[in-house]
Amino acid sequence: MPSSQEEISNQEEISIDNDVRELVIARLKLLSPDTIKSIGDKGVFSRDELIECVEKGDETGEIVKKVEMEWLRAVKNGIVDKIYE
Amino acid sequence: MITRPEHDPGTRYLSRWSEEVIDAAKKKGIDVTDLCQKKAVRKELEGRIKRIDPSFILFNGHGGADCVTGHDNEVLIKAEDNHSLLKNRVTYAVSCNSAQKLGAVCADKNTAYIGYDESFIFNIDRTHLRRPLEDQRAAQFLEASNQVSLLLIKGHAVKEACNGSKKVFKDAIKKLLPSINNDPFANDDIADLFWDMNHLVCMGDGTKQIV
Repeated sequence: MPSSQEEISNQEEISIDNDVRELVIARLKLLSPDTIKSIGDKGVFSRDELIECVEKGDETGEIVKKVEMEWLRAVKNGIVDKIYE
Repeated sequence: MITRPEHDPGTRYLSRWSEEVIDAAKKKGIDVTDLCQKKAVRKELEGRIKRIDPSFILFNGHGGADCVTGHDNEVLIKAEDNHSLLKNRVTYAVSCNSAQKLGAVCADKNTAYIGYDESFIFNIDRTHLRRPLEDQRAAQFLEASNQVSLLLIKGHAVKEACNGSKKVFKDAIKKLLPSINNDPFANDDIADLFWDMNHLVCMGDGTKQIV
């Protein structure tokens, strides 16, 4: 049986995951419907298909989330200044 | 030697954008073996490698952690199967994930493997689907990824070519940054360019040259 601390930690993870999902979907909704993303062997996806993938949490949706999070973490760690160096 | 399957929009874009690499090699007097469309299959690849003994192999296509595929996703090269064909050469795989295992088993002191250790992503403007070379969104990604091959053809070493490509990715990001707060395309493209730049890896002999 998980300890109460583990339960809290799991709940926090789920909550962060939901926040990230909502953020990524909000950003995808801003794109023009003419946007297509080629994600290697997963195929090519329209904006609306990408939103569906993120909502479902499938493999493609997880990649889209990872990409967004990698950039946002880098921004938090000062990547913009480093790029201009 | 270059493989250019063309069985879906992603591979068609990579194939068309590879034409500039082929032209650059020919201008430099390098013989190019072009395994395009239905020729991008395992039997052709293996036979040609044995006959021609190329110093550089450029794979365009899909892939997985342990393989790169060709026409209709037929496996061309696979770790622990026929990966020894890449030994003592320079390989650049514009495909997903293959640096994870295939690159790792190929790379050694006489062999260089350049590839991506995660998905290679690029964005397309649907209005240009039939004219890939006019697609300015895709251009940002494919010009940067082509730099690896173009710099190798110019005589740069593997590590320099890889760094040169990363610089073009970085320059593309720098160009988009001023628009990040008012252009959703910029926001989307920056995250994907940053991802590709970070996951382009060079393994094995970084000092190796192809010409």
